[in-house]
Amino acid sequence: MKTKLCSHEEAVTAAARSGNWSPELKAHRDGCLTCAELTLVVAALAADAEDLAAIDTPLPDPVPIWLRAKLASRERQYRRATRAIVWVQRAALAVAVAIGIAFAPGLWELVSGAFSGLDLSISAPNLPRSVGSPLLVMVVSLVVLGLLAVFELTAAREN
Amino acid sequence: MIPMALTLPRTQGLALPGRAVTMDEEAFRHLYDRTARPLRAYLMRSCGDLALADDLLQEAYLRMLRSGFEGEDDDHRKNYLYRIATNLLRDHFRRKRPESDEVPERDESPGHDQAIHMRSDVGGAMAELAPRDRQMLWLAYVEGASHHEIAKALGLRTASIRSMLFRARQRLAKQLQARGLRPELEVS
Repeated sequence: MKTKLCSHEEAVTAAARSGNWSPELKAHRDGCLTCAELTLVVAALAADAEDLAAIDTPLPDPVPIWLRAKLASRERQYRRATRAIVWVQRAALAVAVAIGIAFAPGLWELVSGAFSGLDLSISAPNLPRSVGSPLLVMVVSLVVLGLLAVFELTAAREN
Repeated sequence: MIPMALTLPRTQGLALPGRAVTMDEEAFRHLYDRTARPLRAYLMRSCGDLALADDLLQEAYLRMLRSGFEGEDDDHRKNYLYRIATNLLRDHFRRKRPESDEVPERDESPGHDQAIHMRSDVGGAMAELAPRDRQMLWLAYVEGASHHEIAKALGLRTASIRSMLFRARQRLAKQLQARGLRPELEVS
């Protein structure tokens, strides 16, 4: 008996799986510890595989797997479709920040002056003219856009 | 049971996030019906836990669908699934024991299916081996994978597989013999 790699391993494996042993191969197996061990292992694993495949416990339902995959796929498609919007929002945020930085020194006086002169008792149709400064409208709009962009970006990250 | 050769998938990456599901539901069901039981057997014998095997099984199919992998036929997809499952097992054992690849401790929690370990002498013997040995032996002698395919699935060098498989086989034979099975006896 020998315990080392044997050149008959492939033939012995095939025979152990199928159960078709030629007399020569059987004789070899009986005299070769490697092939005897191989036969034992292959036959044992084949029997074990059959046992496990026949286990009574039902398999997990494939429907939820399919639905989860489809859902994930749709989420990716949605993200791809809204990518341009997110970029516009980022650009708006960048513009708002840039304007804020560029005009910060003089802007505060302008904003505080505009708000101090604001008459809150006036009717709504007159409001844009009362607010007065187009620059202020632009700044407020950009700030709102910027805040929206921040909100969207945060929500996108959470998802 | 006639083992099937594990032809390697032709795509390089296993996980390809961001791809759309390309398989239709009927094709998926067909693949699932055909492959889920043997794949669960592989996972179960590799990790020794039915609940975990079922989790990994679902994750393997989910990853395959999400990868957008189409494959040439069911065999091709099946092989891809085994590679994903092997990677999932490897991740599982890494998380469990970051510094070693030793035999995982048996889970005594209520959800653990003790019957899996004790089901047969073979199950008990396999449970004494290292996860990699179990995977290697299963892929080689149940799934009929070539050395090259085993090496790909386990992330090893092809040249090492023959000797590693030989040693793993010796260890399993020793465990089987310790349980009363001898090389001279064929398990029916």
